[in-house]
Amino acid sequence: MRFLLSLLLLVHPAAAQIRVLAHPGKSPLVTFRIVFTTGSAAEPRAQAGLAYLTARMLAEGGTREMTYQQIVDAMFPMAASVSAQVDKEMCTFAGATHIDNLPEYYKLLRAMLLDPGWREDDFQRVRDDAVNAIKVGLRSNDEELGKEVLYQNIFEATPYGHYSGGTVSSLEKLTLDDVKQFYRTHYSQSHLILGIAGGYPDGFVESMKKDFRKLPPGAGFRPRMAPPPLIDATRVAIVEKDTRSVAFSIGFPIVVTRASPDYAALLVATSYLGQHRMSGGVLYDRMREMRGLNYGDYAYIEYFPRGMFLMEPPPNLARHFQIFQLWIRPVEPPAAKFALRLALHELDQFIQNGIPQDGFERTRDFLGKYVNVLTRTKGAELGYIIDSMYYGTANYVPSLKAALARLTRDEVNRVIKRYLRVDRLVIAAVSKDGEELKRQLASDDPSPMTYNSPKAAEILEEDKIVEKRPLHLRPEDIKVVPAEQVFQ
Amino acid sequence: MLPRLLLACCAVAALGAQTPRKIFPYPYSQADLPNGLRLVTVPADYPNIVAAFIVVSTGSRNEVESGHTGFAHLFEHLMFKGTEKFPQAKYDEAMKRIGADSNAFTTRDYTCYHTTFSKEDLATVLMMEADRFQNLKYTESDFKTETLAVLGEYNKNSSSPFSKLNEVLADTAFDRHTYKHTTMGLLKDIQDMPNQYDYSLKFFDRYYRPEYTTILVVGDVKAGPTRDLVEKYWGAWKRGSYQPQIPAEPPQEAPRTAHVDWPSETLPILTIAFKAPAYSDDAKDTAALDALAFLAFSENSDLYQKLVLQEQKVDLLDASSPTNVDPALFEITARVKKAADIDYVRGRILETVKAFQEKPVDAARLDAVRKHLRYDVALEMDNSETIARILAEYVALRRTPETMNRLYAQYARLTPEDVQQAAAKYLSEKAWTIVTLTGPGGAQ
Repeated sequence: MRFLLSLLLLVHPAAAQIRVLAHPGKSPLVTFRIVFTTGSAAEPRAQAGLAYLTARMLAEGGTREMTYQQIVDAMFPMAASVSAQVDKEMCTFAGATHIDNLPEYYKLLRAMLLDPGWREDDFQRVRDDAVNAIKVGLRSNDEELGKEVLYQNIFEATPYGHYSGGTVSSLEKLTLDDVKQFYRTHYSQSHLILGIAGGYPDGFVESMKKDFRKLPPGAGFRPRMAPPPLIDATRVAIVEKDTRSVAFSIGFPIVVTRASPDYAALLVATSYLGQHRMSGGVLYDRMREMRGLNYGDYAYIEYFPRGMFLMEPPPNLARHFQIFQLWIRPVEPPAAKFALRLALHELDQFIQNGIPQDGFERTRDFLGKYVNVLTRTKGAELGYIIDSMYYGTANYVPSLKAALARLTRDEVNRVIKRYLRVDRLVIAAVSKDGEELKRQLASDDPSPMTYNSPKAAEILEEDKIVEKRPLHLRPEDIKVVPAEQVFQ
Repeated sequence: MLPRLLLACCAVAALGAQTPRKIFPYPYSQADLPNGLRLVTVPADYPNIVAAFIVVSTGSRNEVESGHTGFAHLFEHLMFKGTEKFPQAKYDEAMKRIGADSNAFTTRDYTCYHTTFSKEDLATVLMMEADRFQNLKYTESDFKTETLAVLGEYNKNSSSPFSKLNEVLADTAFDRHTYKHTTMGLLKDIQDMPNQYDYSLKFFDRYYRPEYTTILVVGDVKAGPTRDLVEKYWGAWKRGSYQPQIPAEPPQEAPRTAHVDWPSETLPILTIAFKAPAYSDDAKDTAALDALAFLAFSENSDLYQKLVLQEQKVDLLDASSPTNVDPALFEITARVKKAADIDYVRGRILETVKAFQEKPVDAARLDAVRKHLRYDVALEMDNSETIARILAEYVALRRTPETMNRLYAQYARLTPEDVQQAAAKYLSEKAWTIVTLTGPGGAQ
C-alpha cells in the first residue's frame, strides 16, 4: 500500500513543529536529507565559522557513546557516511545506506545528530581542517576564491557578509563551548526538516520523528535578515597571488529568489546568457568559442559553490538574498582587460537587445527538461522539495515547468531590463601582480586583442568597440589584497 | 545475426552475504557490429531517463609521438566542433532543445562522451552522435581557437598544487611509457597545439574508429530497438587499421625522489608511489592491491587513525591502486600539517607497507573491505547516469560489463596471504618514487 504513494508530504509546523518529507519507494537504498534552517547568517561576525564548525563536529566527531574512530570503523563496511553542508540559512546533513544496514546506520546517524560527544580532540582536528580549508583549500583555487570574495564584498556589513567557512582568526578564537552553545540554540525542532526516501519499513518515519523530538522545540529564532547595501559605483577587489592567469567574478545583488514571480523568466535569461558549464550560451560562444579567451564563461542568479567540480548546483543553499553573477574563467594576463571589457559588452548587448525568439523557445524547452536531470538522484529530489518548503513555494520541478509553459519572450525581456545592469558592479579578480592589473583597469587605454587565426569581420568589428569600452574605474575604486590576507 | 548475451540477477541481493551474487545487478545485452563497434544496453529501473556513454579506447596512453602530448584530451574538445549536417551551433541547439546534459572526459586510457536525456530522444541522440563520430569537421581556424580553450583549462587547473605534483610524479616515475605525462599534456605541447592542425587530422583518423569504440546505453530502454538504431546510424562507419606502438616501461631498478617548490601558501604534500601491474581480473594482483590500499590507508586503517585522528599530524591520507591498461602507480598521498613532520610521516607510511609485507592481515578486516566495496557500488548506482559512468571504467578496460563481475569475483576470493604477497611483490623500495611538495618557507 505504501508503495502506491509516490510522494507523501507531511507538514505540521504548528503541532509537532518538525517538518517531515517522506518519499517511500522500492529502492534497496534509503536516502536521508536532514536540514536545519539555520546557518552562518545566524552567527555573529566575530564568530564567523561557528555554524560551520558545529555542523562539522556533528558529522566528523564522536557521539557520547562512541569515539569518531569507532564511528568510522562502524560505517566502513557499510560504505556509508554522513556529510555536512553549511550555508547562510541552512545546515544540511546527508547520507544513504543500503536497506541491509538501515538499523545500524540510522542508530549512528541519530546519535551523531542528537547525542554528540563534544570531545576536545575532535574539536581541535575539525578546527584545524577548517583553517586549512581556507589557507590551502580556498586560496589554492583561484576561481572559488574570487567568487567568495565577490559575495563577501557585496554583502559586507550584513549577516551574509562573512564567508560561511569562517576566517582564520575567528576560527582560531572559537571554542568547544561556543559550538555547544550554537547547537543548543539553533538545532531545534522548529528549524528541522527531515527528508527520507527509499525502501524504509512501515513505521520508520514516525519513530524517526519521535527520536528528533529530543531536540528543544525552539522559539523559531531567526537572525534579522538585511538586504545588501546599495552599490554607488563599480568597484574592484584584486586578490594578488602567484598564479598563471587572471580569474574574474562579476556581480550585483538582485531581489529575485525562487519565491519571486520573476524567477522563471530571469532563469531563462541567465541560462541563455550562460548556462553553467554548457556550450551554447552567449558568453561561452562569444568569449571561448569565437575568441579562445579561456575555458568557459557563465551566468548565475543563485549561489553555486564548487562549480568547477560540479555540473549541477547542490540543493539546500536557499537564501533570502541572491546576486546576479558572471563567472569568467582564468584568462591569460595579456588578455585580461579585454576579457573583462568583452564580458561587460556582451551583458550590455544582451540588456539592450533582449533574448531572440528562437533563443527564448530553445532555452525555455531546455530548462523544462533539464529540471528532470537536476533532480535525478533521491538526495537531489528531496533537497529541491525541502528548498521549496523553505521558500514557501510549490514543489520546484512541477512549478518551474508550469511557469516555463506560461512564459513569453516579452516577459523575459521585461525582467532583463528590470533586473540586469552593467554599472554599479562588484568585480573580483585573482591575479599575479595586482598593482599592474589595477593600473590597467584604472586607465581607459585601449586593450586590443590579437588572435592566432583569422577571425570573421563581425568579430574584428566588435573588438574595435570592445577594446575601447570605458570601465569607469578610478584608482580609488580598486583595491589590491594579498591572498594571504583574504579570509584571514 | 548479432551475438547477444543476457545475464540476469537480482538487484536487491543481500550484499553482505558470504557467497554474493554478481556485483552488477542488471541484465544487459552486448552486441558487436561487423565494423568492430560494440553496443552494450542496460535496461535499468529508473524511469524516463537514458544515459548514453560512448567510450573510445584512446587516452593520453595513446600519445606516442613526442611533442604531441594532450591530443586525446584536445579531441574531447574538438568533438564538439560539429559536422556539415550539424554544425556546432545546430548541434548545441538540438541538445539544448531536448534538455540533454552532454559532456566528455579524458583519462590516461580512454575518452568518454556522455549524454543524459529523456527516453523519447534516444534516436535523435544516437543519430547525432553517430554523425559527429563519423563526419567531424573543423577548420584550421576553429582548431587554433579551440587549442586556446585547452590552454585556459590548463591555466585554471594550475592553481592547485596537486596538478603540479601529479606532473612531477608521472615524469619522475616513468622513463619510456606514455604514462610519463599527464592526460592534460605538457604545457609546452599545449602551447604548440595551434601549429598542429595536420597532426590532429591524423590523430582522429587513427583512433576515432569503430574498433576503438563501445557504446553504453543505460536506463529506460529496450535492447532490441536500441540495437536497430545503432545499426542504422553507426553501421556504415569504416573500421581502421592503426595500432599504436606504446613503449614498454623498463623495470625500475632503484628508488627515485623529486621535490616541488610551490610558490604559494600550501601544506606540504607527500606522495609515495610504487610501480604496480596492469589491470587484471584473471589474476588476483589488481584486487589484492586495491584491498591493500583500503586496509592500510583508508579512513578505518590503523595508520589513518594514528596520523589523522590521534596525532593530527596529517589532514589528508589516501591511497589508490591503479586499474589501468598498462602498469601504472600505486599511490599513497599524505598532506602534512607541518613541514617538520614530513620525514616522520614518510617513516610511518613505509613502516606500514613493511608490516603488510611481513604479516597477513586479519581475515575479519579483509571481509570488512569486501563489504565496503560491494555496498559502495550499490549506493552509487542510484541513477542511470552513474550506472553508465561506473560501467564505462570497466568497458574501457575489457569492453564488457562482465569485467566488473570478474574483478569483484576476485575480491571475493582474496585471502589475507594474497594481500601480503601483493604487498611484498610490488611495494618494494626499488620500485618507489617519492615526491614532496612544500610552499614558501616550507623547505625540508
